[in-house]
Amino acid sequence: MKLEIGNIFIKDIQFAAEAKIADGVLYVDKAALEKVVLADETIKSVTFDIAKPGESVRITPVKDVIEPRVKVEGRGGIFPGVIAKVDTVGSGKTHVLKGMAVVTAGKIVGFQEGVIDMSGPGAAYTPFSQTLNLVMVCEPVDGLKQHDYEKAVRLAGLRVAVALGELGRNVTPDETKVYETCGIKEGIEKYPDLPRVAYVQMLQSQGLLHDTYVYGVDAKKTLSTILCPTETMDGAIISGNCVSACDKNPTYVHENNPVVEDLFAQHGKTLNFVCQIITNENVYLADKQRSSDWTAKMCRMLDLDGVIVSQEGFGNPDTDLIMNCKKIEAEGVKTVIITDEYAGQDGKSQSLADADASADAVVTGGNANEVVILPKMDKVIGTLDYINKIAGASAETLQPDGSLKVELQVITGATNETGFLKLSAR
Amino acid sequence: MTGRYTVITNNPLVLENLKGRVPVAYRDVSYVELLREVRDQIHKGGKLLTHPLSGSVKPGETPYKSVMLLSGKGDVDERSLDLIENAIQACSKFQRKGPYRPEVDKDFQLVDWTLLEGAIASAGE
Repeated sequence: MKLEIGNIFIKDIQFAAEAKIADGVLYVDKAALEKVVLADETIKSVTFDIAKPGESVRITPVKDVIEPRVKVEGRGGIFPGVIAKVDTVGSGKTHVLKGMAVVTAGKIVGFQEGVIDMSGPGAAYTPFSQTLNLVMVCEPVDGLKQHDYEKAVRLAGLRVAVALGELGRNVTPDETKVYETCGIKEGIEKYPDLPRVAYVQMLQSQGLLHDTYVYGVDAKKTLSTILCPTETMDGAIISGNCVSACDKNPTYVHENNPVVEDLFAQHGKTLNFVCQIITNENVYLADKQRSSDWTAKMCRMLDLDGVIVSQEGFGNPDTDLIMNCKKIEAEGVKTVIITDEYAGQDGKSQSLADADASADAVVTGGNANEVVILPKMDKVIGTLDYINKIAGASAETLQPDGSLKVELQVITGATNETGFLKLSAR
Repeated sequence: MTGRYTVITNNPLVLENLKGRVPVAYRDVSYVELLREVRDQIHKGGKLLTHPLSGSVKPGETPYKSVMLLSGKGDVDERSLDLIENAIQACSKFQRKGPYRPEVDKDFQLVDWTLLEGAIASAGE
């Protein structure tokens, strides 16, 4: 499968009467986007705001971050099975509004998560301090249940991203990248001496605000399966989770998964990137057994030499991570696992809630219990009303001078387990 | 699945939602005390059916936890014991928060319920 990604570099976002992209500036027609959002009658109102890198702005509580894209050639549309009709995506040509993001924010539950600081020390911990953000805060109609509100905001964000992506359909991209994978036999013939490597991606699949959707299907109701990695670039996987925002994958991360990107960069050179395997992280232990059995079985059937496994979350998923690692290694396939750590504020506690000797090649996204001080910002988009209630926050979180004393857990993407990070120890 | 499972919970919403559907052992105790009770049951031969650290709402943050357990009288299930011991140990890494306003408390109950709901869908009633 071959996908051409055409990046249109967005250098600025402005509100205007006419929506268009001209000279790298995205002009947003607020009234038109309001209609896109309010097409869902469960949303009472929406406000749009723009947050730019370097500004004294704090966005919270963040629900999802989405990159606008449009399918210009090939099968299907962006976010298949959710916004576009169900069709296999990942081939043809896709245009991307690069350098910007749609950020959805709003209180769904009273302990809402997710902080993005556009400047100051907190900005270093989130990759979304570097994007031009169109932030939308949705208010529900009175009495709307949390499940319905979550779904409404999730879909509204995707609809807005698709509407913006459409503006890039006829724009000539500033940069074009080509991603291509082979069939099984073709790959063996083409790269007989290169190790066969796959990416095993674990998806959050536990419940309200802990879910992920694949082609519109709730991931906790899926069996482990195979994707062509380019499918994720067309929005085959979307996020429905944001609790403990540091190590959850917003939709933007699925669209730009760095493990996929890096494996493609080495494809045909040092390795043969065979496929992406997706598996879930259910609460029910028998589901874990089944999913990890299937993942290991597929690794064997595909005659892989090695896999990279990325986790999403902490605690319950630690068990899935170790089960996957142990069983895949037992099939004779080498593993490298990517996780993050909850090692306590002093960093001295055991990092994961599960372990095994076969997990001997581990990459970490950092210690989510690490404490940081986030100075007061001039402007807050969203609300600070719930900041004391989010993971990693405490009663002393909001300091008298307006700064926040928090653990990294609260910052969107701070310890991301696909490595979609700005900081490293290198 | 063989045998009948019990849900051990400190979440009143779980008790309410499962009334007449599956056996529920409701305990008015803290999160970590509930995990210790589960550990006691495992020492008596019980077997975990759900992960004790389900959900990304951390121990100390949410007051609520629900665990599905298969009762038994045989040997101690080593895997269950391992999971519960690690879960109890993990609790010490998180600072205790709260008390919460009633509406926030209800949201914690709801999320704990949805975490269990998926497991009940898998296990059957």
